[in-house]
Amino acid sequence: MKRSTDLYVDGKRNILVADDEMINRELLNNILCDEYDVLMAEDGEMAYDVIKKNRNTLSLILLDLMMPKLNGLDLLSRLKEDPDLKGIPVIVLTSDQASEVESLVRGAADFIPKPYPQPDVIRARISRSIELAEDRQIISATERDELTGLYSYDYFSRYAEQFDKYHPNSDMDALCLDVNHFHIVNERFGMAKGDEILRKIAGCLLTVFSSSDSVICRKNADTFLVYCTHRDDYTLITDKVSEVCCDMPTSVKLRIGVYSSCDKKLDVRARFDRAKITADLIRNNYSVFISTFDETLMENELFADQLVDEFPKALAEKQFKVFFQPKFNIEGDKPVLSSAEALVRWFHPTLGMISPGKFIPLFEEDGLISQLDEYIWRCAAETIADWKMRLGISVPVSVNLSRAEMYDPALVDTFEKITSETGTTAKDIYLEITESAYVRDGDQIVDRVKELRDHGFFIEMDDFGSGYSSLNMISELPIDALKLDMMFIRNAFDKQNDTRMISIVIDIADYLGVPVIAEGVETEEQYLALKKLGCTIIQGYYFSKPVPAEEFEKFLLEKDA
Amino acid sequence: MLTIDALKQLGCNTDEGLSRCMGNEAFYFKLIGRVVDDKNFQALEDAVAAKNFDAAFEAAHSLKGVLGNLALTPIYEPVYELTELLREKKDIDYSEYLKTISEKRSELAGLLV
Repeated sequence: MKRSTDLYVDGKRNILVADDEMINRELLNNILCDEYDVLMAEDGEMAYDVIKKNRNTLSLILLDLMMPKLNGLDLLSRLKEDPDLKGIPVIVLTSDQASEVESLVRGAADFIPKPYPQPDVIRARISRSIELAEDRQIISATERDELTGLYSYDYFSRYAEQFDKYHPNSDMDALCLDVNHFHIVNERFGMAKGDEILRKIAGCLLTVFSSSDSVICRKNADTFLVYCTHRDDYTLITDKVSEVCCDMPTSVKLRIGVYSSCDKKLDVRARFDRAKITADLIRNNYSVFISTFDETLMENELFADQLVDEFPKALAEKQFKVFFQPKFNIEGDKPVLSSAEALVRWFHPTLGMISPGKFIPLFEEDGLISQLDEYIWRCAAETIADWKMRLGISVPVSVNLSRAEMYDPALVDTFEKITSETGTTAKDIYLEITESAYVRDGDQIVDRVKELRDHGFFIEMDDFGSGYSSLNMISELPIDALKLDMMFIRNAFDKQNDTRMISIVIDIADYLGVPVIAEGVETEEQYLALKKLGCTIIQGYYFSKPVPAEEFEKFLLEKDA
Repeated sequence: MLTIDALKQLGCNTDEGLSRCMGNEAFYFKLIGRVVDDKNFQALEDAVAAKNFDAAFEAAHSLKGVLGNLALTPIYEPVYELTELLREKKDIDYSEYLKTISEKRSELAGLLV
């Protein structure tokens, strides 16, 4: 049970009025409602339920002794026997002097006689009882973390606020410090070693920061928080910690998120949330150990949250539109339209068009991607069916699959359902599966791809060259085309005009007997060079950017003519 | 009509009652309107008639608390005395008390129309 004064900075405390007489409840509510949030109960059982439900936020109970179902004295005894509830102060409302003594014996904090005294008296007694109870709470809570001797988190927040109060003009930093891969330390060397490291870090922090200009705590596990006067550089700390831990069986590296020169209008917790977000940014980075918060970071976080929150609505309202980018076969004299890639665009009602680069990674993280992808697959299939019906012509359209979808045992069923429901076939839909998907859990992915292929789907390995496939396994992969990672094109033409890597990939494709698709082709120079190297298919702004389905029809009609 | 003066004339301690209502007259009058219809008046009469002194005490005790808080002295006083007698479970003739209470309650109710 935690009830500290910090909780009430912005809100009113909760008080329960338990009295079976409505008029008494209304009188007390009227007296107290400006200062407190007043909960009501009209009998003893109801009061008990309300107390249990609000045990962490209830500051005081005003209890009438004569109530139906469960009388006040019995309720009082029940509360005092319950370790979770006994800390909540109870003021008894009574008109009998005999009951006053009995209530105090049973643990009431005070009593208020009936008829009620002046409202001022009632309020003063209530506020005094609450104050006493909260002070008692503070004294009994643990001030120090047993392991390190630093403050516990509860105390830390309180002391950080006090620091602000006494040093209103100090420029303050909020720091969140974690040990890189600490769980592995515990795992490999045992808890005792882990604890030793934490103690060494604590000791080190105490030498770097003086108590006159900082407050330090261990929040949990390997997370430390420091609230200190502003410094420009914290590398001293990471260096020192590594130094004092040099006799440990593994090197210890701290990762520090710094929210520099805090906005003091934010509450302490929010300041350290910012420090934490910042520290998490460099979680898997082995070369950067200190990261500093800036506002755009927060905006990005909030923006990301907004996109994820609004996804279901956007999907229902069809804010996602599928665009088509043509792919041309360049083997002959003239480029010929061969297929298209379906690419999603989000037309947000207030934010305008949002780039897929912004929302796809978020949805991949949140698991929303499969809903979006299925929607795109279906749109693509419907568009193909529409072209066939109206124009009597179509080209295959490739759609993208995310890594997570490759684990879905119903994936083939999903595609079969889409094709049968839209009146298309497996030949109409190409599947782009990123190379990196094959790398982890290779066998499982390869089996799934084989299954798709056995059902007639054409598989393009996307982003080839970015996923570090072993050349050894490539020959066994079930694929129908290699799609060159865009970086090859960029690197080949940007810098020293070195197209040798592209030649190698084309040789690999030849060896496998599959065509090479180059995407991101923007200039005639690139187009001609790729043609000369023996690249089969080209996609990119040189021919066309991704366009809406209606606009894509012109490519179909051209091909037909 | 229910006014502070009329309540005073009946002998109510309106200063005290109003102060418990934070000086809000409308709120005070609203609560008085409610207490006149309090079901405990009937419960008290029934329980006394049935010589069920526990139930009678509970009803009287509840009324006492509310009437006292609203400072409706002319009804509060007989209810107070009655409550103390019932607490002792005295088997006596309560009809005079009940009559007084009923009369004073009617006088108050008369102000409400």
